[in-house]
Amino acid sequence: MKKESFKVYQMKQKVIPYLFLTPNLLIFSIFIIFPALIGIYYSFTDMTLFTFDTPSFVGLENYAKLITDKDFIAAVFNTFKLVFATVPIIFVVSLTLAILLVQPLKLVGLFRASYYWPVMISAVVVGIMWNWILATQSSMFNQVLITFGFDAIETLTNPRFAWWAIVYAIVWSRAGYYMIIFVAALFSVPASLYEAARMDGASRIQQFMYVTWPSLKAARLMVFILVTMEVFKTYPLAVTLTGGGPFDATQYTVQYIYEMAFRSYQVGYASAMSVIMLMFVTIITGLNFYLSKGGRNE
Amino acid sequence: MKNKLTAQYILAFLIVLVFLIPVIYVIASSFKPVSELFVASPTFFPKNFTIENYVNALKRGNFARYIFNSLLVATTSTFLAVVINTMSGYALAKFKFKGSTIIMIVILSTIMLPLEVIMVPIFSVLKFFGMYNSLLALIIPAAATPTGIFLMRQYLITIPDELIQSARIDGASEWKIFTHIILPNAKPAIATLAIFSFMWRWNDYVWPLIAISDPDKYTLQLAIANFSGEYGSDYSSILAMSAISMVPMLIIFLIFQKQFVQGTVQSGMKG
Repeated sequence: MKKESFKVYQMKQKVIPYLFLTPNLLIFSIFIIFPALIGIYYSFTDMTLFTFDTPSFVGLENYAKLITDKDFIAAVFNTFKLVFATVPIIFVVSLTLAILLVQPLKLVGLFRASYYWPVMISAVVVGIMWNWILATQSSMFNQVLITFGFDAIETLTNPRFAWWAIVYAIVWSRAGYYMIIFVAALFSVPASLYEAARMDGASRIQQFMYVTWPSLKAARLMVFILVTMEVFKTYPLAVTLTGGGPFDATQYTVQYIYEMAFRSYQVGYASAMSVIMLMFVTIITGLNFYLSKGGRNE
Repeated sequence: MKNKLTAQYILAFLIVLVFLIPVIYVIASSFKPVSELFVASPTFFPKNFTIENYVNALKRGNFARYIFNSLLVATTSTFLAVVINTMSGYALAKFKFKGSTIIMIVILSTIMLPLEVIMVPIFSVLKFFGMYNSLLALIIPAAATPTGIFLMRQYLITIPDELIQSARIDGASEWKIFTHIILPNAKPAIATLAIFSFMWRWNDYVWPLIAISDPDKYTLQLAIANFSGEYGSDYSSILAMSAISMVPMLIIFLIFQKQFVQGTVQSGMKG
């Protein structure tokens, strides 16, 4: 811009931010927003995986079918049950680990690294690991039971056991992540608050209840929402840990939708399920924005 | 006071065992000969140490190919993610323009649309663009992440405007300002984004599941998951490959622990 007029320069400055945003916005539009819209459209049609012409419009038929689909309702119910069981456990475990890590211990770096590192392992491999440890009569899990004088038990072939194995594996692999969020929040509590509480003669428990817990409000909310969203989408872990079995005991919404679309080829019907799931996700995220005033990324 | 401290150490060490022993057991099992894998009373460590599971998986099982695919996808997608998310973060941090609020809302709304909710239509879109069964389907769409944009935006806001203005006065083009001033000054944030992006892509399962059906294009995670579900599956190879899939992440984690911790705190990074 050697001898550009100021006007040309100003024009250029107006266009430039859009150019910088173009690659991202293109990808978002093509691979997220556009699919979401055609997914809603599919949900009103009889589209299958092998429909190459325009699918026929069937109105609310797919949605009517959903309400009476016992397997879908069971998968959704199972997903909510998983959320209700797992979220409080992760919450308590990660907060406990965080409190332990802010104590004046030596080797704190080692402890933090060990607790955090399962977060690095893919859900697929976490599933393989726990399957290998738990499955069959001659698994290491049963071997330990025998060593301590118990009888070997039915493991992943037992629906209740398999269901809790999923909960355990999720907590084991994800608690370290939320622990870090709590650690940061605990460090940001002003030390003067604790001093004042101690001067007033507050016990350790009272300090936790009246200083720590209220100070963690933002972190608590963030962890709560993130865990809920994450558990809601559980799928890869179940694929390799239990395969959704036994007797669909660990089949969740995402797996059911996937199999409806890609194994039974019912794209229209599966899309209606996705729209329902999208509504749940929107409610959870909306709640997040409402409660935190949109400040999650700040 | 001293007793309490001792109790805390014991507790802390016990929890370390809870997190480490399962991983060590699986890695130890991957070095057992097949004859030791399915016995009535298994031992923790192999009695006869062997690397035959690894050799078999790589030689007969085509796993070298899957590792290569995963590495290719994770590195190229991460490179792309760093470039385009930094560009967007720069635009949102340092320019005032019409529609910036709407663009922010669009980006935020993509957080509400996790892949699991749109996997069915995504399949159609990939087919339409001829990206089905191509590694490009794993590299390009995944590179744009809302959390990446926010991470970069938050960091780039702290770069002084004077630095950019003086470069403009010197006649530098906008692209040159981006590559010569913004990118070098954003190194810490780029490091965080890069290691998270690498981890997301390396560990990814749902994208490859939807986009790939040709076994030659399998990523490591897709191969492990698909082969573990098959009857009479070759569990020795799967254990070995599970161990291999953890290794790059372990190395990256040990080197970049600080960035992982910071990234987690800054934005609750989710890919």
